[in-house]
Amino acid sequence: MSKTFDTAAFAAAATFAAAMGVIAPAHAQDADYPDTNVSITIPTGEGGGADRDARAITQVWSKYLDRNFEFSYYPGAAGQVGYEFFMKSEADGTNLMFSNIGPEVIMLELQDVPIEIGEDLVYIQKTSTEPMAIWVGANSEFETLEQLIEEAKTRPVTISVSRLPHPASIGMLALGEATGAQFNLIPYGGGNPTAMAAITGEVDASALPLANPITFGPEARVLGIFADENPVPEQTGNAPTVNEAAGTDLPPLTSSRAFAVQASVLEEYPERVEVLKQTIRETLADPDYIAAVEAAGVPAAFIDPGDQEAAMSEAAETAELATKYRELLTGDE
Amino acid sequence: MEYDLASLSGLFGHAFSMWWIMLPAIVVGLIAGAVPGFAAHNTIIILLPLTLALNVEYALAFMVALYCASHLGGGIPAILVNIPGTGGAAATTLDGYPMTRKGEAVKALSLCFVASVLGGFVSSVVTLFALPALSRVGYYIHSVEMVVVMLFGLALIASIAAKDMLKGLIAGAFGLMLGAMGADHIYATPRGTFGFLELFDGVPLVPALIGLFAISEALVMLESDALVEEGDQPKTAATWRESAREIFSAFSHWWQIIWTSLLGLVIGVLPGAGASIASFVAYQQSQFFSKTPEKFGTGHPQGVIAPESANNGVTTGTLVPLLAIGVPGGSTAAVMMIVLQFHGVPFGPRLFVEEPQLAYGVIAVMAVSYVMMIPFMFPMVRYMSRITVISTVYLAPFIVAFTLVGAFVPRGFLFDMGIAVAFGIIGYVARKTGYHVAAILIGVILGPLIERSFLLAMRISGNDPMVMFSSTIGNILWVMLILTLALPPIMSRRRAKLERLKDKSLTGPDA
Repeated sequence: MSKTFDTAAFAAAATFAAAMGVIAPAHAQDADYPDTNVSITIPTGEGGGADRDARAITQVWSKYLDRNFEFSYYPGAAGQVGYEFFMKSEADGTNLMFSNIGPEVIMLELQDVPIEIGEDLVYIQKTSTEPMAIWVGANSEFETLEQLIEEAKTRPVTISVSRLPHPASIGMLALGEATGAQFNLIPYGGGNPTAMAAITGEVDASALPLANPITFGPEARVLGIFADENPVPEQTGNAPTVNEAAGTDLPPLTSSRAFAVQASVLEEYPERVEVLKQTIRETLADPDYIAAVEAAGVPAAFIDPGDQEAAMSEAAETAELATKYRELLTGDE
Repeated sequence: MEYDLASLSGLFGHAFSMWWIMLPAIVVGLIAGAVPGFAAHNTIIILLPLTLALNVEYALAFMVALYCASHLGGGIPAILVNIPGTGGAAATTLDGYPMTRKGEAVKALSLCFVASVLGGFVSSVVTLFALPALSRVGYYIHSVEMVVVMLFGLALIASIAAKDMLKGLIAGAFGLMLGAMGADHIYATPRGTFGFLELFDGVPLVPALIGLFAISEALVMLESDALVEEGDQPKTAATWRESAREIFSAFSHWWQIIWTSLLGLVIGVLPGAGASIASFVAYQQSQFFSKTPEKFGTGHPQGVIAPESANNGVTTGTLVPLLAIGVPGGSTAAVMMIVLQFHGVPFGPRLFVEEPQLAYGVIAVMAVSYVMMIPFMFPMVRYMSRITVISTVYLAPFIVAFTLVGAFVPRGFLFDMGIAVAFGIIGYVARKTGYHVAAILIGVILGPLIERSFLLAMRISGNDPMVMFSSTIGNILWVMLILTLALPPIMSRRRAKLERLKDKSLTGPDA
């Protein structure tokens, strides 16, 4: 026992000391970036997908940007609270927003939020992109998307969604419009309770970003993916795309996680933004990060080092979609 | 997993071998639980850099031990100074603090610790053997059933209001109204936020708890010299012998501890439920089944046992969905999932197939954590009860300063300190005018939870109110709820009638 204990106790003491900042980091500080902690605002709850991804990135990111990372969570009002508090934080490039572009741009479009993407806030670097998916629990009677749509033509089929302003919700509404199926969207306010509702059979099916059903493994069965092609056929039981299964012509519905800063940071501290972009890209290419993503059960194919232009263009496309489906999403049906 | 003596002793033996990481976690958990504002989940988040760096088994042992200990710690300020550190300990104040005021702090703390430790241990062991069955509970209890379960907790307002029904109901309704503040669950439309972004998530629970209980209590405290009522002050400090005697005598309530902890376990398994619902429901049910329901609220031991054993039963329950299905049942479990994911450990059914020792080991660690807490009980009972002899001149300002910081901690908003002060004034006025602050608090805590489940059920049904009576389990729960509400007044009327008849027959026609 003594050896195990000694090793373990030493490991614990060492990690504790490291966690407390007692052990000095070995590599050099980056000169173009302030020597302070990086504060990351997450506009969803602790323990959710964004938290998981942010933790995975920062663990490796500290290799390239030698700073400590602090997290704060503001899940209120579909992320609005997080965005508004973020805008009040100091615009010096050390305060970052870890965003989920799809649902959050829709939220900003539909809710009365005094923030303009591009003018007030800029997505500077993507980290991952994944399509939306329709899926059911393992015990569900529905084996295919066709069956679900047929049923939805005879009665309103219940679909759990994380929130109404979300690309997955838009996907379901668009699918309903294109096929004549009736989908009753039930917002559960977060990925975990949304998934639970589908797995336990409270609702007929669920619509969430594809990483969710993949991480639930055998508890979930993917019926269709809102993309031009299935990017991860092996991990989804070779699930078809929604357009293949339903004979529709819907646009791909994706969402990307991305870091954002206040727009003024780009003008006042361009060198800091460059450091951020560069080090994030290095992190995304790091084998340790790829291993961490895969270890979390998320396909590495979803890692997407899309730049500022790609991120902002996705935001603009999402805003257009939100405008198109405004009435259905805001309850003014 | 097939259990035999060898595998069980292996599991528990391995759990005990991690004592070096569990003991510090217990100390941190006890402190986090006892300090208002620091709950298990935010302490675990603060310590994530440590747990992410540790081996996954040690990390889980650390988090689980901390989580269990925090629930035990939460009862301490609730009993001694009427400050529930978390929603789960709010019901403990109802009888715990009156016991302290009567000079029975040692007894109340003993009941709280024994209920927590025994309740937590029993529910962990039951989980170890009944995990597959428990994991199915979530498949049968959905939003409709959750509405009824939470109504059991809300029914507590009626019993609190028994002494003055009108004031009790007004207080409860006021609490529900406050609980309705914030963005709505479906369309995120802000309601009653007065334009404050800080209120979009609704009334923050910890500052409300601190205001209603701690600050208002501190103001009331200043009106007398000592916390303990005149004539009830203990003459000397509690001795080791006295502490041990009270702890051992608390075990005589073992049956109530077991059934309320199992009630907590089942409620903990349900998605969206948690310690506050479990403790209120357990308190309400204990009062219903008690032979002396009238003593509840006056410093009755059963009123301390029920919420404490139930909220420790919840600790195991919230881990069941994570372990069995792979979806965390609460915020603490969600943070634990991040650690599992970070280490590439599968969760849900795959965890039991690929790493059964780890899956069952988590539950064994939980049971062992409670065993390890036993030695902590004796010094805590002995020394913590001494708080009651501190003069209120020092205690009250300390409580205000200390808890205001606690109001700030969970979200880091200065605004929340203002909320605590506002609720302190509301609480003080309520106490002075005979409105029960616990009734307000039950409304604040349960209101948003009931609203969420109700809206989900209604939306699933296409806004058909009959959905509330659409499930067999739901209907059984409705009948039980009606019986719970209707039987006590019927029984007490019947008892009164029998007593009258008895008096008549005793005095007889000759009188």
